[in-house]
Amino acid sequence: MEVGFLGLGIMGKAMAVNLLRHGYGVTVWNRTLSKCQELVQQGASVGETPAAVINKCKYTIAMLSDPSAALSVVFDKDGVLEQICDGKGYIDMSTVDAETSSKISEAITKKGGYFLEAPVSGSKKPAEDGQLVILAAGEKVLYDEMVPAFDVLGKKSFFLGEVGNGAKLKLVVNMIMGSMMNALSEGLCLADRSGLSQQTLLDVLDLGAIANPMFKLKGPAMIKGSYPPAFPLKHQQKDMRLALALGDENAVSMPIAAASNEAFKKARSLGLGDLDFSAVFEAVKSAKDSDSA
Amino acid sequence: MAKCSVANASIFIRRRFLPFSAVMCHSLPSTYSSPLSVAMTMTMTSSSIYCRPRFPISPLTRLPRFPNSSSSFTTIASSQASGDAGKGGEFPGRVGFLGLGIMGSPMALNLLKAGCDVTVWNRTKSKCNHLIDLGAKYEPSPAEVASSCDIDVACGTNGAVKGMGSGKGYVDVSTVDGATSKLISKHIRDTGASFLEAPVSGSKKPAEDGQLIFLTAGDASLYEIASPLLDIMGKSRFYLGEVGNGAAMKLVVNMIMGSMMASFSEGLLLSEKVGLDPNVLIEVISQGAISAPMFSVKGPSMVKATYPTAFPLKHQQKDLRLALGLAESVTQSIPVAAAANELYKVAKSYGLSDQDFSAVIEALRAKLQH
Repeated sequence: MEVGFLGLGIMGKAMAVNLLRHGYGVTVWNRTLSKCQELVQQGASVGETPAAVINKCKYTIAMLSDPSAALSVVFDKDGVLEQICDGKGYIDMSTVDAETSSKISEAITKKGGYFLEAPVSGSKKPAEDGQLVILAAGEKVLYDEMVPAFDVLGKKSFFLGEVGNGAKLKLVVNMIMGSMMNALSEGLCLADRSGLSQQTLLDVLDLGAIANPMFKLKGPAMIKGSYPPAFPLKHQQKDMRLALALGDENAVSMPIAAASNEAFKKARSLGLGDLDFSAVFEAVKSAKDSDSA
Repeated sequence: MAKCSVANASIFIRRRFLPFSAVMCHSLPSTYSSPLSVAMTMTMTSSSIYCRPRFPISPLTRLPRFPNSSSSFTTIASSQASGDAGKGGEFPGRVGFLGLGIMGSPMALNLLKAGCDVTVWNRTKSKCNHLIDLGAKYEPSPAEVASSCDIDVACGTNGAVKGMGSGKGYVDVSTVDGATSKLISKHIRDTGASFLEAPVSGSKKPAEDGQLIFLTAGDASLYEIASPLLDIMGKSRFYLGEVGNGAAMKLVVNMIMGSMMASFSEGLLLSEKVGLDPNVLIEVISQGAISAPMFSVKGPSMVKATYPTAFPLKHQQKDLRLALGLAESVTQSIPVAAAANELYKVAKSYGLSDQDFSAVIEALRAKLQH
């Protein structure tokens, strides 16, 4: 099976490699074309533009950083729309808001193409290990055809109905994740300032009802002040912002998410946007009263 | 299974649930004149008011998910002579249990099953019967089983403090704030006895399964002595240094838990409002990095708007309030916990204090108050 792949960032590169390793023919494109070379060494072909990739492949997956990149790849010159047509499928696995996804879906289907949104839950390592959780919505026929590829990329996929549902669910999950990261950060700070061992707190947490892989994986590095980017903070903050907008549209109260978003914004203002989202710990740490020693 | 064998030691485990943040005192039976006496007390109170003490006792925190039921005591005093005294992992003493409520009963049962000589007492005697049937002894009053101290009466004539002295130990398995713990500690230590605070993380099921987590602090020597008993009742134990550290660790853990539950509630409600199936959200979460037992256990009932009480909401709110107090005392700003605290307060104002703390989701639904 031949697929196109647009976007070779942290996630896209790992996912494309996975497909190549499982015998897929992959044609890649990246805004910075040089990033394609590593994939070429693993057997990929290169498309000079998104349109070129669409032209060559029946199915094309996109994995882009944010709504504006997702729109740009579709609507700009040499974009997807120039070549999408009957019989071709476009699968956008970026995390965007429902409105962006709907816009893209509408444009694709107008030209005769099939569209599926399929944002993922999971970051770099799950992407490398083919352990993503895929939240698909849109064209069921296209979903069914993509299942073999999804089984390579992930451990579980869901079909959630109409376009927008996948996007929304992803935002809700990441909203909870962002708040949990804030709660952990506050706990680590409070433990430290109360004279407790932060590692012991992590050990205690890992034994009980609120034990979770994220705390276990990220906690030790946070204590050491190390934040290698698996999921960049700027993207987490984008997701919090989009989730808050979703709540806003529907008049849903979300004070915890709002407070968490503030911490992520502060972290961005401290220049931590490209670090892992666990770097919000630095923003929480700096929230001391002014008269502290 | 650890064998509780003997010689010359007494352990008192007391658990209790009182409307006031006080600990009751009973005199130690004269039979307990062993060189080493360890009293373990577990006090659970739900009071949000100050008792009328001679000391400024602040409202006590609750064990996580402790059910709002009995005011019972659990004391464990163990003194069973056998030739095995001194072997590693064994506790040399007779165990008395005051209080056989939701936590005390399974804890006493675990000690009994491990071969400890257990004597029980409960305010409602019938609650002792299943343990008596399994070999526990019974005494008709706490005074005759062990002693536990009511701070009101601690300086009174019949306090456990009176029965404490050099060579004895007092292990307090209750969830209290640091100030109360330090107060009890001072009174115990003034008699020459040693003291260990040992609040637990975990509720009914972990208690039944012997899977509690003990967060201890205080006298290290007493920690060593009591460890075999803790190992019967729990799956892990931590020694955290000076008195107050166990209480603080418990508060930090429960603060994170309270914030997580509030965030999870936001997620469930938001999914519902935008036309998603909240059960799918729960399933997706269970597949990923933020999968936690609490979400998969509580999520389904939250979706059905039922909140069977495992950990009363009012106690979760109290723990958050105390955590905020702790944060203020060390000049740390914790806005997410503060926002979560507000939600639990709103939930209390809706009359949900005695529901499970997962009922906080209701606080996100605006209600007109009349």
